[in-house]
Amino acid sequence: MLNYLIRRIIFGLATLLVITCAVYALIRHMPGTPLTLDLAEMSLDQQISPSEMKRLERQYHLDRPWYVGYWLWVGNLGRGDLGRSIKEKKPVSQVIAERVPRTLLLSGTSLVLAYLLSLPLGLYSTARSGKIDERIVSTLLYMLYAVPTFVAGLLLLVFFYKDLAGTPFQLEPGMFSRNYSTLSPTGQALDVAKHMILPVICFTYGSLAYYSRFIKSNMEEVVRQDYIRTAKAKGVAPPRILLQHAFRNTLIPYVTMIGLTLPALIGGSVVLEYIFNWPGMGTLYLDALSQRDYPVIMGLTLMFSALTLVGQLLADVLYAVVDPRISYQ
Amino acid sequence: MSQDAENHATQSIGFWAEAWVRFRRQRLAMAALVFVGLLAMIAVFSPVIVGTKPIICHYKGGYYFPAAGYFYEQWENPIFITDGVIYSYPQKLKQNDSESWAIWPIIYQDPLRRVRDGEWNEGSGNPIGSAGTPSRRNLFGTNDLGEDVFAKMIHGTRIALLIGFVSTGIATVIGIFVGASAGFFGGKIDWALSRAIEIMMCIPTLILILALISIIDKPTIWHLMVVIGVFGWTGIARLTRAEFLKLKQLEYVTAAKALGFRWPRLMFRHILPNSLAPVIVPITFGIAAAILLESTLGFLGIGAPDKTSWGRLLNEGKENLQMWWLIVFPGAAIFLTVLAYNLIGEGIQQATDPTLKSSKH
Repeated sequence: MLNYLIRRIIFGLATLLVITCAVYALIRHMPGTPLTLDLAEMSLDQQISPSEMKRLERQYHLDRPWYVGYWLWVGNLGRGDLGRSIKEKKPVSQVIAERVPRTLLLSGTSLVLAYLLSLPLGLYSTARSGKIDERIVSTLLYMLYAVPTFVAGLLLLVFFYKDLAGTPFQLEPGMFSRNYSTLSPTGQALDVAKHMILPVICFTYGSLAYYSRFIKSNMEEVVRQDYIRTAKAKGVAPPRILLQHAFRNTLIPYVTMIGLTLPALIGGSVVLEYIFNWPGMGTLYLDALSQRDYPVIMGLTLMFSALTLVGQLLADVLYAVVDPRISYQ
Repeated sequence: MSQDAENHATQSIGFWAEAWVRFRRQRLAMAALVFVGLLAMIAVFSPVIVGTKPIICHYKGGYYFPAAGYFYEQWENPIFITDGVIYSYPQKLKQNDSESWAIWPIIYQDPLRRVRDGEWNEGSGNPIGSAGTPSRRNLFGTNDLGEDVFAKMIHGTRIALLIGFVSTGIATVIGIFVGASAGFFGGKIDWALSRAIEIMMCIPTLILILALISIIDKPTIWHLMVVIGVFGWTGIARLTRAEFLKLKQLEYVTAAKALGFRWPRLMFRHILPNSLAPVIVPITFGIAAAILLESTLGFLGIGAPDKTSWGRLLNEGKENLQMWWLIVFPGAAIFLTVLAYNLIGEGIQQATDPTLKSSKH
């Protein structure tokens, strides 16, 4: 197992190098640099002088070819330095660290909700399989799964932000109200919670539909097996069969799925944060891309890819932990 | 005995024919298939349904089909451009040639521009902005610039369908080729290709698409299709690889090998046809995913600046929340199309998976 882990980690690091190299090459070839895009926005009297421009270019290695720039980036990374954001004039690690909790607030809440709700839903649809109420619930969930999040998000905004405007039920996009700083600590928490309602709904409904279908399809396979029939034959109560005999064996794929949700948990959703103006990782990513803030893009890419790799590894390791038949040599 | 054998021979239908029989039994999947067929009809006949260019016209002694210009700009005969007719066919045709006649689309609206006052039958022009609620003249309302939403959506059907087929087609070819090579040859080739697949799965798609699209000088919807296709093959590749690993150990492959067939024949004639059934399901889901990705990019305002993309309309809707018709109609179109492809995929799965054969229905 240890050998396996070491091998996976070495390959993972190599993969990260390939990915970051490819992304660095790509973004350096995108038209416009952070400095020229900056210039276009500024008024004439604020223009940077050519000598100042040269100095900034040197500072961010824009005067060198991309492979040299990438090499310098890797070198700094080795020293634990992700560089400084060109736009925000702060270290990249600090910029990211500011955003992570905000995204976690949404994705964490929705993950917990989705897991908690999908368990009873999945078990319910297995128990009532084929009955009319189960068909209705399953069809609804299936259709819900096909609703694109941006459509759902916009419709929610139309209703809760526009149609309910002026009523106490109005919900706004964004993370804080305008008078946030004047509120008491409890008021502030409530304010953020109120702003979280719509994004969390959008974040949750898709995975809820997916997880509960996932549980149901796994359960259906298990329920057909001989040992379930045996349990039935010896007179075990149906709820007990469902929970203790069948459900335990469907836990394996369910647990491994946790590993695969890791990147989305911290990466958040670009689309959802864009719709609801949520100042998290997704908006940071979109802004960094449109402003060509190379150090931030690179920091985010590194983080997303590392999380994906760690998530896959975690899934494989959890697989071996919950299923003794699986071993890695 | 011989009669028995004969009976057996007539009863045995092919795998795909049998799958089709079982697919047809599923009402929802069939309804979805009909829906996609309908979409394809709408896409093909979009200039006939709605447009401002005549389907057929007789002008200065010749017959022309200006509506074809909606498919490809250059198909609109140059005579109309030199005569300055293209933005007001109804008046200019009569003005320039009183003998001319034309057959018009069912609805006179344009996906790319606003219909002006008095342009058609002396009617008033399209309302602009939030005044453009759905009405008899603008079935799905108009956008900020007064362009007809219904016309945009009908013409946008072409994009949605093309994106699905072209990009998934590209992804399928790459995915099957990579997966088949990895599974068939094994060893170092398998190792290298599997690592390549892993790397592809880790790269954030949005960065890649955005970077690639912005490198291209004048990105069109075709570039976007290629880019989406080039990055969507990993799932198909993994499944094909698994199928090949399984199938290459079967006796019939060994037998074919013993007969002296070379690897291309083994790979494409013997193993590939048998590995297709499980791969076809993710391909169908891939079409849905490609359509979703294109509309997401359109919604984010990234990618090709195509004025008729459904996602683009939603992007305008985000800026003008009070214009609900910019959200409801394109949103429903995307939802139904994605749902239809998912249902078809599910139907194919039910119809081709031998383990589900006896348990259901």
